[in-house]
Amino acid sequence: MTEVIARKGYHGPSNEAAIEAIHNELDALWDDASFVPDMDRMTFATAVIEAAANIVQHALPVAEKPVEIDVDISVRPTRLVARVSAFNAREPFANDMQASMPDEDAESGRGLALIEALVTTVTFERQDGTNTWILTRDT
Amino acid sequence: MQFSYEVKDSYAEVKSVGRLNMVAAPKLREVVNEVVAGGSSRVVVNLAETDFMDSSGLGALIGCLKATRQAGGDLRISGVQPQVKMVLELTNMDRVLTAYPSAEEAFGDD
Repeated sequence: MTEVIARKGYHGPSNEAAIEAIHNELDALWDDASFVPDMDRMTFATAVIEAAANIVQHALPVAEKPVEIDVDISVRPTRLVARVSAFNAREPFANDMQASMPDEDAESGRGLALIEALVTTVTFERQDGTNTWILTRDT
Repeated sequence: MQFSYEVKDSYAEVKSVGRLNMVAAPKLREVVNEVVAGGSSRVVVNLAETDFMDSSGLGALIGCLKATRQAGGDLRISGVQPQVKMVLELTNMDRVLTAYPSAEEAFGDD
């Protein structure tokens, strides 16, 4: 296992308050890992918030239980890793997974393309009603 | 996130303070729509105190740009910080949303 130098997380209902809370966790993470360069903080935090916002805006519950969001972010010696999960969520529609930039007058649809431009790897997993985005950025 | 605006002689300045994310994006649209409805279609969004913008915030700016142009005006941005500049460049929207150093300069040429 790669050594984890700093770690933060959040778990709660999938709503707007979660987005602000995840922003605050990211800020706290950089306080604990002040050696991470500004450029890496900026790009990684943007990707994490995009993934979380995608869940809050698009994830639909699989049954009666509402969708919950879970974020686990860690700093390792040469890599930043985030697992951004939607619990109790349906599988995303294929057209929600569009990763190319839309026309310039489009007012939405840039999130996934932006995530891909910001991080080194993007992996999607689905298991037992949970969708997980794993984002990594080599530092 | 906070928005405030001030109507000046030849344009209106909308000041955006805080994170321009999916929570704040609808509020920006509301404020700019109010400014345009009030008769100011030349709008500068001052981003000097906005240290974070995501694709929802960008989408709101594009919506506001369209609203001002439909009213015969334009929307420009000023005081762009590094993270916002990065998002504009990675999405190729820096060509559409022209950034000026200050709100005063945004409509200074016309």
